[in-house]
Amino acid sequence: MSKLETSFEDFPESYATLGGRALTSTIVSKEVDPTCHPLGPNNKLVFAPGIITGTVAPTSGRISVGGKSPLTGGIKEANAGTDFPQRLARMQIAAIIVEGQPKGDDYHMLKISIDKVEFINANKYVGKGLYQVYKDLFKEFGNRVSICACGIAGELMGAASGICFNDPEGLPSRYAGRGGLGAVMASKGLKFIVVDDTGAPGVEIKNKELFDQGREKLRKALAEHDVTKPDGALASYGTAVLVNIINEAGGLPQRNFSSGQDDRAANISGEKKAEEIKIRGGTRPHHCNPGCVIRCSEVWTKPGGKDPVGVLEYESVWALGANCSIYNLDDIGELNRACNDLGLDTIEAGDTIAVAMEGGMLKFGDGKGALKVMDEIRKKTPTGRILANGCAFTGQAFGVTRVPAVKGQGFPAYDPRAIKGIGVTYATTPMGADHTAGYAIATEIMGVGGTADPRDTNKSELSRNLQVATAYLDSTGYCLFTAFAVLDIPEGLEGMIQSVNGVLGKEVDLTELGMKVITTERDFNKAAGFTAADDRIPEFLRQEPVAPSGEVFNVSNEELDKVWGA
Amino acid sequence: MAILVKFFGDLAKKVSQKETRIESPFSLKIETQGIEYIADILKKYSIEKSETSHIFVNGIYAGFRKRVKDGDRVGIFPKNMGLLYKWYFTRVEDD
Repeated sequence: MSKLETSFEDFPESYATLGGRALTSTIVSKEVDPTCHPLGPNNKLVFAPGIITGTVAPTSGRISVGGKSPLTGGIKEANAGTDFPQRLARMQIAAIIVEGQPKGDDYHMLKISIDKVEFINANKYVGKGLYQVYKDLFKEFGNRVSICACGIAGELMGAASGICFNDPEGLPSRYAGRGGLGAVMASKGLKFIVVDDTGAPGVEIKNKELFDQGREKLRKALAEHDVTKPDGALASYGTAVLVNIINEAGGLPQRNFSSGQDDRAANISGEKKAEEIKIRGGTRPHHCNPGCVIRCSEVWTKPGGKDPVGVLEYESVWALGANCSIYNLDDIGELNRACNDLGLDTIEAGDTIAVAMEGGMLKFGDGKGALKVMDEIRKKTPTGRILANGCAFTGQAFGVTRVPAVKGQGFPAYDPRAIKGIGVTYATTPMGADHTAGYAIATEIMGVGGTADPRDTNKSELSRNLQVATAYLDSTGYCLFTAFAVLDIPEGLEGMIQSVNGVLGKEVDLTELGMKVITTERDFNKAAGFTAADDRIPEFLRQEPVAPSGEVFNVSNEELDKVWGA
Repeated sequence: MAILVKFFGDLAKKVSQKETRIESPFSLKIETQGIEYIADILKKYSIEKSETSHIFVNGIYAGFRKRVKDGDRVGIFPKNMGLLYKWYFTRVEDD
């Protein structure tokens, strides 16, 4: 970006089996100085479709975005489901690497077509909300493009900013949210990437027979499984089906992690939301990209089907809802809209508001007040600049000690005192507190050791194996939710692996690839200055019992260190 | 005292016998007479085991042979709400 130049490079043979997270983390590891400033000229921002993305394999439209995170100070991979990577993959673009830094304050759009790459000045869009901007851009470029963007939060260099992608309706609602990569994009003066795949040749599939066999097995498994089938849990209720479930488990954090259960959670549950959409309008189920057969997404609207927001995911409903003691779907919907509009990660935003509530900036449960707080970011006030940097930064600014974060990244929607295994993953993933990092192929298939009792503290082997399997899945381009079917139906896993190997024309070992990704990421973090002391859960969670279980996080530091044998 | 039972999703529909505008959960306080295990609650409401996915007793992930008693809180989820990080859980049974 220093000179607004672009160039194409051949895909190195040594990268031939890499895609998605494996590719972004490898490139970042090789090309970025771990000690560089995340918002300086030496960081790079890498976009990579998964190995299988852009093919007709079901539920495979994922993109990984990588770089050094301004939130954690370590390596970051955030991913999203959208048609953007499908277009890139069909154009046979394995990755986009954004590097350098321009002088001055200009912002640009990178427009990529099959025969042309150009920069277009984007200053007129600076400081504007992404809902209107996306409307304007789709009007200008038509519906055969996909768009990614950073928002106002990124312009503030906020570490809570995400990278926005469009959903099939053109709404700015699909996010590679975590880790502040929106700020990295903005730091390079890059406001948008617009991809037009007209005339693209399509993904090269080396062994089509194997690929077809595999994708059919996986499709069948997804169509049969209770979670992923057309009228299954995800299509019926979306990811927010988890609200009532995790609440019953006593692990749905309320009021900045002050309790694990509240009966008002029923007001913001997946069931409630699905019923509301039937009444008010909107869409459920809905796919986030063409070819998804699970269709967990939705379009949430205001009453009367007006002003569509996009999906209200479980994590967002929790972060902006229960965690702030807000139990009103309309308030949560508008807060989610504000996050999408500003280019903010909903999880980090919810954690941040809850910490600000604890610090006395506003009262718990004040949904309208929370919306006003979002305006501080929109207006780029000093308070907005604090909030746009996430919960750890806000905790420092407001003198709050109860800050739910690991490596500076705010917790997702599971209390690690009630569900200890996920706490081990929060602590030890190279990403900072991340629920998706250990959300994958299960015990039976991976031969995972340890125990699955949520209150048992022997969790290192379980967490390690889940993290390794997830790293593989994040590299394929398959959505994590395929894991449910793959978990229970062995032919599904076989099909997944065959389809990936079919595209590559060679066999890739799941565990080997997953472990290699994690090792690469951990090595980067070590070189950036991370030690075992960074793989820790915040003190207050070891001291304060969580209601109703009365549990504290009592997994020993020695057990945490056993995850990677540090 | 009684047992608080919360039926979710399609089970709320079944137990409440409502087709539309169902509340999930549909909550009932039931007397303990004749109710020793989770399986007895299912039987009382003509729910097959195969219609269920997750069951919690006081926040503990439970199986059909988990004992229940006065003052307990029980959550029962239908088959199509089986979305859980289930590898972090094992079902607790008493017998």
